[in-house]
Amino acid sequence: MAIFKLHVPILDDIKAKGLKPALLAKVDDAVTRFTAGLSIGDLRGVLRGDPAPRPNPRLKPHADGFWFHMRPTYYHNLVTPLYPEFRLGWLSLYFMVFETITGIFLMVFYTPSPLVAFENMLNILSRVPLGLFMRDLHRFGAEAMVAIVALHMLRTFLTGNYKKPRQFTWFTGVVLLLVTLILSFSGYLLPWDQLSLWAVTIGASMVEATPTPWPLNLLGDRFFGDPSFVGTWVNNIARGGPIFNADGLLRWYLLHILALPLIGFVFIGVHYYKVVIHGHSLPPEAEKVGEDTAKRVPMDQRTYFMPDIITRELFYVALVTFISVFAVTLGNFHAPLEPHADPLVTPLHTTAPWYFLWIQGMLKLGDKVFWGLIAPGIIFGVLFVLGYIEVGPSRRYADRRVGLSVCMVALIALSVTTFMGTPWYAVSSSADQEVVAVLVPQTHPGPLRETPYEEFVAGEYTVKPDDQADPQAPTEGLKSLLTLYKHELELASDRLKNAEGIMIVEDWQENLKKITLRINWTNDDGTAGTFSQDVYLHQDSNYGD
Amino acid sequence: MSSAAPQAPTTTPMTRREFLYYVWGASMALFMAEFSGALVWFALPRFKEGEFGGKLPVDVSAIPGVDTGPKDFPEGRFWLVNLGPKSVSDERQPADYPPQQGVLAIYKVCVHLGCLYKWVPTNDRFECPCHGSKFLANGVRVDGPARRNLDAFVMRALDANGNELAKTKAGDPAKDDSAGAPFVLPAGTVQIEVDTGKRIQGAVNTKPGGGK
Repeated sequence: MAIFKLHVPILDDIKAKGLKPALLAKVDDAVTRFTAGLSIGDLRGVLRGDPAPRPNPRLKPHADGFWFHMRPTYYHNLVTPLYPEFRLGWLSLYFMVFETITGIFLMVFYTPSPLVAFENMLNILSRVPLGLFMRDLHRFGAEAMVAIVALHMLRTFLTGNYKKPRQFTWFTGVVLLLVTLILSFSGYLLPWDQLSLWAVTIGASMVEATPTPWPLNLLGDRFFGDPSFVGTWVNNIARGGPIFNADGLLRWYLLHILALPLIGFVFIGVHYYKVVIHGHSLPPEAEKVGEDTAKRVPMDQRTYFMPDIITRELFYVALVTFISVFAVTLGNFHAPLEPHADPLVTPLHTTAPWYFLWIQGMLKLGDKVFWGLIAPGIIFGVLFVLGYIEVGPSRRYADRRVGLSVCMVALIALSVTTFMGTPWYAVSSSADQEVVAVLVPQTHPGPLRETPYEEFVAGEYTVKPDDQADPQAPTEGLKSLLTLYKHELELASDRLKNAEGIMIVEDWQENLKKITLRINWTNDDGTAGTFSQDVYLHQDSNYGD
Repeated sequence: MSSAAPQAPTTTPMTRREFLYYVWGASMALFMAEFSGALVWFALPRFKEGEFGGKLPVDVSAIPGVDTGPKDFPEGRFWLVNLGPKSVSDERQPADYPPQQGVLAIYKVCVHLGCLYKWVPTNDRFECPCHGSKFLANGVRVDGPARRNLDAFVMRALDANGNELAKTKAGDPAKDDSAGAPFVLPAGTVQIEVDTGKRIQGAVNTKPGGGK
C-alpha cells in the first residue's frame, strides 16, 4: 500500500499519445499560459501576417494578461500613422524606463556625499567598464526625455486634445512635465561639480524669494524673529543649510532616485488610464466640431494592437535606442563634468543645461520674486488649468487662430529667453578675461586643456593681432592654440588696443607644466593694462579623450 | 407618487453614522496637517554654534591701499575695499547713493541669487557670472537684475589696546545714508574687526543704471 500517490499527468499523456506529440502539446500549453492566451500556432499566425481568425485569439491577452490589459485592443486607422501623435507619449514612457535602468547602473558606483561624489564620477568615467557609456546614455536619455515630453505637450496643444473631455489628462501631463524637469534638475546636481553647486544655489535662492504672506509674517517675527521665515525655511530645506552641503546633496539624491520617479510612475498610470478611457483622439479634421468619436471605431477602420501597433511601438523603441547608442558612441555626445564644486568661486559663463536657459534668461531681467517665482508660477498655473479655461468647442486649426498664435508667440518668447540665458547676454566679462576664457574656460576643459600634454614645449610665445604671419611654434597643437589666441585678440581689438598675447610654458615639476596666459594692452587713457592667468597641466590629466 | 409636478429636492437629515464619518474625516485632515508640520520641522537643518557668522580680525597691514581695488577674504566671505578720492569721483555712481570715502567690508554673495560675484579690474567693478549684476567698488548696483546694493558687514576699528575707535553705523541704508557706510580709519587703528554675523542689507536699487 502506497503511503502517497504521485500523479504526473505528462506520463499519462506520453503513454496515450507518444513522447513527441505529448511534449509538443506540453510546450504549446506552456506558451499559451505565458502569453495569456496565444498558442504557438496563434503566435506564428501573428508573425506570418495571417489575418486574425474568428474568434480572434489575439484579444485574449488583453482580457486575461496583466501587461496587455492596460492597452486598447484596437486603434482607429486615423491615429496609427505618424500624424497626429508622432508616438511621443509612448517614447516619453520609454525614456522614463530607460532612465530608470541606466540610473540603477550608475547608482551602483555612486555615493551621495560631497567627500566622494566627484571621485565617484571620475571612477565611473575612467575605470568602471561601460561606466562612461552608461553615464552618457543616462544623460542623453534625460535630455531626449525633456525634449520629447515638451514636444508631446506641444503636439497635444496643437491638435487641441486638452479640450473636453480630456482636460484632466492634460492636467496630469503637466504634472509629468514638472516631474521630468525637476528630475533632470536634480540629476545634474549629483556629480558635485561646479554646475551642481551653483545650480542648487541659484535654484534655492529662487525659492528663497517665496513671500511670507500676512499674517504669517507677523507670527514669524514674533516667534522666530524672521518675518520672511517661509522663504528662509524653504531655502534651508533645499540646501540643507545656509550653503549647499552634504545634507543638501543627500536630499536631492533621494528626490532624484526615489520621490520623483515614484510620483512620475503614479502619474503615468493615471495619465495613461485617462488616455485609454477617453480613447486616442482622432485628428481634428476627421470629426465634426464638438464631436468626440474616439471611442466609436467602426469595424472596418480598426488597427489591432496585435500585431500592428505593438510592432510599431517596438520599432520606435528600437530606433530611439539605436539613436541613443549611436549618439554616445560615434556621435561623440558626452555628459559634461565641470571641475569639482568650489563654494568660493562661481565660474564665469556658468549656465544651466539648454532646457533651463529660459529660466536663467528670465532671471536676468530683474526682480527674482517676479521672474523666479511669479512668472513661472503663472506659466505653469495657466498650463494646469488650460483645459478648463479654454473651452472653445472646435479642435480645428482654422477655428483656433488666437490660441495657435498665442502658442507661437510663447514659443518665440521661449527662444528669446533661452538665448538670454546664454553667456552672450548680459554676463560678458571684460575683453581680456573673455579672451583667456576661450582658451581655458571655467566650465569645461576647452581647447588648451584638450591639447595633448606632449605638445606643450617650454618657452615663451607671443602673438599680436596685427601680425601678418601665422604664429610660430614647435608643435602643431601649440600652433593652433596660438592661432586661436591671436584670432580672439583680433576680435577684441576694439576694446584691447595694442594688445599682445603671451603664452609661457614652463616645466614646473616632473610631469607637470605651468602655462601662463598673459595679455598686455594700452588703455584709452594711455596707461598699460595687463591680465594674467595660470593653468597647470598634468601628464595624466587626460582631458583629451 | 405624483410624477407630473416637479419635486422640490428632498433634504435628508444627517444620521449619526454620517456625522461620525465627518468627525473622523475632519480629525484625519487635522492629523495630516499636523503631520505636514512635523515633516517641515523634521526637514529643517540644525545649526551648530560657531559656524560662519563670527567676528574676524584683520590687521591694518592686510587692508588694501586707498583706491587699489578690493581684497578678497574668503574665510569671512567678504571683500574689503578702501575707497579713496578716485572711487568717490566715479562718474558711474548713481546720484541716489552719495559716495563716501573709507574702508568697507562687503558680503561676497550676490544679492540677486546667491552666486559669488568677482572683481573685474579692467571694468573697475564687481560682476556676477550668473545673471550679470554689476556693482561698483562701494557695492552700489549699476546694472543687472539685482534689486539692491550689496550687503555690508558691521566693522569696528580698534587701537593697540583693543579700544574701539570707530564702528560701522547700523540701521537701514534706505532711510539713512550713513548706515552701513564706509569710514576712514582713525589714526592709531591697528586692527579692524569684521562681524560676519551682523549684515546690513544694501539699499533698494532697481532703476536701470542704478537708482532708487
